[in-house]
Amino acid sequence: MTFSRREFLKAGLAGSLAVGAGGLLSACGTGNTIKAFTTSTAGKPRTGGQLRAGLTGGSTADTLSPLNAITNVDFSRINNLYEPLVGLTPEAQPVNVLAEELTHNANATEWTVRVRQGVTFHNGKTLSADDVIYTFQQILNPKAPAAAAAGLASIDAKGMTKLDAYTVRIPCSTPFATLGQALAIPGYSDIIPVGFSPTAPVGTGPFKVKSFSPGTQSTFVRYDGYWQSGMPYLDEIVITDYADQTSQVNSLLAGQVDAVNLLSEDVISEVQGESKNVLLSPGGGWNPFTMRVDTGTFSDVRIRQAMRLVVDRQQMLDLVFGGFGTLGNDLFGIWAPEYDHSLPQRHQDIDQAKSLLKAAGAEGLHVTLVTSDIAQGTVLAAQVFAQQASEAGVSVSVDDVTVNEFYGTNYLKWQFAQDYWFYNFYLPQVSLATLPSSPFNETHWNNPRYNSLYAQAIATSDDALRTEIAHEMQQIEYAEGGYIIPFFPPVIDGFGANVGGLVPSKIGLSLNAYDFKGVWLS
Amino acid sequence: MTIATEAPERVGPPSKAARPHPIRDLLIKRSLIGILTLVLVSILVFAATQTLPGNAASAVLLNTATPQRLHALEVQLGLNRPAVDQYWTWLTGVLHGNFGKSLANGQPVGTLIGGRILNSLALVVLAGAIGTLIGVGLGVLAAARRDSAFDHVLSVTSLGVTALPEFVVAVVLIIFFAAVVVHWFPAVSVFVPGTAPWSNPKELVLPVATLVIVVVPYVFRMMRASMIDALESDYVQMARLKGVPKWRVLLFHALPNAIAPTIQVIGLTFLYLAGGVVVVEYMFNYPGLGQALVSAVSDRDIPQIQAIVLVLAAFYIAVNILTDVIALAVSPRRRLPRS
Repeated sequence: MTFSRREFLKAGLAGSLAVGAGGLLSACGTGNTIKAFTTSTAGKPRTGGQLRAGLTGGSTADTLSPLNAITNVDFSRINNLYEPLVGLTPEAQPVNVLAEELTHNANATEWTVRVRQGVTFHNGKTLSADDVIYTFQQILNPKAPAAAAAGLASIDAKGMTKLDAYTVRIPCSTPFATLGQALAIPGYSDIIPVGFSPTAPVGTGPFKVKSFSPGTQSTFVRYDGYWQSGMPYLDEIVITDYADQTSQVNSLLAGQVDAVNLLSEDVISEVQGESKNVLLSPGGGWNPFTMRVDTGTFSDVRIRQAMRLVVDRQQMLDLVFGGFGTLGNDLFGIWAPEYDHSLPQRHQDIDQAKSLLKAAGAEGLHVTLVTSDIAQGTVLAAQVFAQQASEAGVSVSVDDVTVNEFYGTNYLKWQFAQDYWFYNFYLPQVSLATLPSSPFNETHWNNPRYNSLYAQAIATSDDALRTEIAHEMQQIEYAEGGYIIPFFPPVIDGFGANVGGLVPSKIGLSLNAYDFKGVWLS
Repeated sequence: MTIATEAPERVGPPSKAARPHPIRDLLIKRSLIGILTLVLVSILVFAATQTLPGNAASAVLLNTATPQRLHALEVQLGLNRPAVDQYWTWLTGVLHGNFGKSLANGQPVGTLIGGRILNSLALVVLAGAIGTLIGVGLGVLAAARRDSAFDHVLSVTSLGVTALPEFVVAVVLIIFFAAVVVHWFPAVSVFVPGTAPWSNPKELVLPVATLVIVVVPYVFRMMRASMIDALESDYVQMARLKGVPKWRVLLFHALPNAIAPTIQVIGLTFLYLAGGVVVVEYMFNYPGLGQALVSAVSDRDIPQIQAIVLVLAAFYIAVNILTDVIALAVSPRRRLPRS
C-alpha cells in the first residue's frame, strides 16, 4: 500500500515537471529515493524587489544573536545578517567565506586564520583580527557559553593572539585537526564586531536588520557596502512567522508570500497544483532514536542490534516523508568525506532480531519510547517504529511528551528517546555526541577503542589517514552503537514561480540554508 | 498573605447614602471583588506555570541545553530563585506598573503585548458589534414573522451553523474567499508590527466574518425567543388593539422588554469571543493576544503569560459588570429592592 502511494506521488511529480517551463531535474545524493528539482521560471538574475518569506518554527524566543541561534528558522535571519569564517556549500562542503586562509601546524594544536580585507560591518567598521578574537571569546564565555561552545571547546580562548591586523593565531588545548570543519557548522563562526550588542545587531552579511519582532515579523534591507560585488539582488526581505503549515500554504497559494519552509510531503501536490514550486532538498540532518548503552535494557548489545534490525527503513521513510529523503545506516555525517559508504545498507531482518532477543533472554521485550514533536515527523516515526518492532514481538509504548518536558530535566537521560540534529561533519559530531566528554552524549556511549581512535583522528593532518581511522570508528558504531538512524529526512519548501536562485541544500536547513543573497525576483 | 492586605478594602465604603443607588453600589462592590479575583488568578496561574515540565531556559535552549548553558541562562533569568521570591518580585513590579521583561527575548512585556491587545480588541469589538446587530435584527424579524418560511429557514440555518466549530467556518471562508475560489481577501492576516488594526482593514475581514458567523446564531435564537414572549404579552395585544402601527409595536413596545435577557447573551457572546479569538487568531495567523498566549505558554514565558491572562481576566470581569449594569439600566423594575 505504501509502495503504491509513493509511486503515485512520483508520477504526480513527474507530470508537474513536464508541465513546468524550463524544468530542471537534478537527482542528487546516494539514495535512489531523492528527486530534487526546481521548476523556476524566474529567468536571469535581476536586482531589486522584496522577498516575502512565511516561515514556521519561530517563536517569541527567536533571536538575532548568532551566539544563540538554535532553531531552523533562527538561521533565516542569522545567515543573512552575519557571515562565518568558513561556510558550507549547498553540497555541504566547507568553503572559506570571511576567512581567506586557514592553516594549522603539524600536530594541529595551533591554527592560523587570515581574514579577507575590505570587508565592513553594517555600522561601517572594517573587519579585522580583533573581531575574530572577540567572537571566539564570546562563544566560549564561561559565564554565558554560546550554542557553539561545546563544539569549539578545544580552542584556548585566552591564548589567541593577533599576528597582524587581519591574522589571528588560535591555539588549541588538544589537537584539533577538524577545526576547519567545525567552523563551517551554521552559527559556529559567524563573526560579530568587537562590542557587539544584541539590541543593535550588526554583521558583515548581505542584509542588515531593519525591524525585528520575535515570533511575528522581521525585515531586512540590502547592505550597500557588501563585499561580494553585485550581491545581493534583493532590496528587502520580510520574514513573517506562521503558526502552522495550513496558513503557510494558504498564504503561498494566495500570493501573500513568495517562499515558505518546512512543508510536509502531503502538501506537495497541492502546492504544485497551483503552479507554485517545491524545493526538495536531500537534508543531512538526522532524527535518531537514542538507546542508552550504559544502563537498563539497552546495555545488552544484542538488544540494541535487534532494535536496529526491526526497522524497515524504506517503509518508515515512505510513511513519514512520502519516500523522499535518504536511507540511514545508523551512522551520522552522511555528506562528510569521512563517512563510510562501504558498510552494507542495513535492512529489516525480523528473524535475526528475534534470535538476538532470544539469545539475550529478552523475548516479549517491553520498552517505552519517549517522543515529542521536536522536529518534523519525529512522533510519526516513533509510531511506525512501535508498529515495526511488534513484528519481532517487542512491544513499544510510545510516550508523547511536550517539547518542554522532552528538553527539560530528563534531556540526555532518557532510556529510549529521539532527537534531531542538523548536518555536521563526522568527527565534529563525534565530539558533540559520542565521547564520554561530549555534552550531548545521549546514548551514553563510551567505547575505549573508539575514544582512542578519535584522539588519533583529530591529531592527524593526513586526510587519508584520518578517513581510515574514522571508518574504523564507524565500524564500531555500526556494530554496537546506541543510535538507530533510519533515515536522513528531506527538507521540503515551497516558493512562487517568480523566485529565482533557490537551490537544494544538503545541510538540513530550509530554502538553500536561507542564503538569500543569490535569490532574485522576476 | 497577599489576600490579607486586600481584605480591608473588601468591606467597601460605609453606606452613607440614605437612598440606595443600585448601579453605583454594584460597580463598587464588583470592582473590588474583581481586583481580588485578579490577584487570585495571578497566584493560580503562577502556581500552574511552576508545575509545567521544563522552564523558560530549557524552552529557549532546546537541544543545545548543556548543563552549563542551562545554568547560565537560569541565573540570567532569575529562574534559580525560590518560586515565592519570583512571584513577589513580579507582583511588586506590577504594583509599580511594570509587567517585567519577557523571559524568551528580554523585551518589556508591555511593548510586546500592547499592540496585540489592540489587535484582539478590534476583533472582539467588531465581531461582537456586528454579530449583535445582525443577531438582534434577524431575531426581531423572525419573531415578527413567526412560522413563516423566512423564520423556518433562519432557525434551521442557525441551528446548522451552531454545530460548526470556528476552524471549520474559517477554513470554508479561506477556501472560498482567499485561497482557492476567489482571491478577494488575504488568507492570513499579516500586520506590519506596530501598525493599528484599522489600518489593515482587508486583513480583518475574514477573521471578523468567521467570528460573526459563529456568534450570530446564539444572539438570534435568544432574541427570537424573548421577542416572541414579548409579542404574546398583554401589553402588546393592548397596543395592537389600540391600533398602534405594527413597526411601532415591534420597536417601542416589544423590543425594550425583549432586550434585557438578550443583553446577558450578548455579554456572554463577548466573553466567548475573548476565548474564541484564540482559535481564529491561530487560523489566520492574526497577531493578537491568543496567539501570543499560545507561544508564551510553549516558551514558559511567565511574565508574558501572567500579563495576558490578567488582561483576559480583567476583560471578563469588566464585561460581566457592564452587562449587569446595562441590564439594570434597561429594566427599571429590577432596580427596586426585592421584597
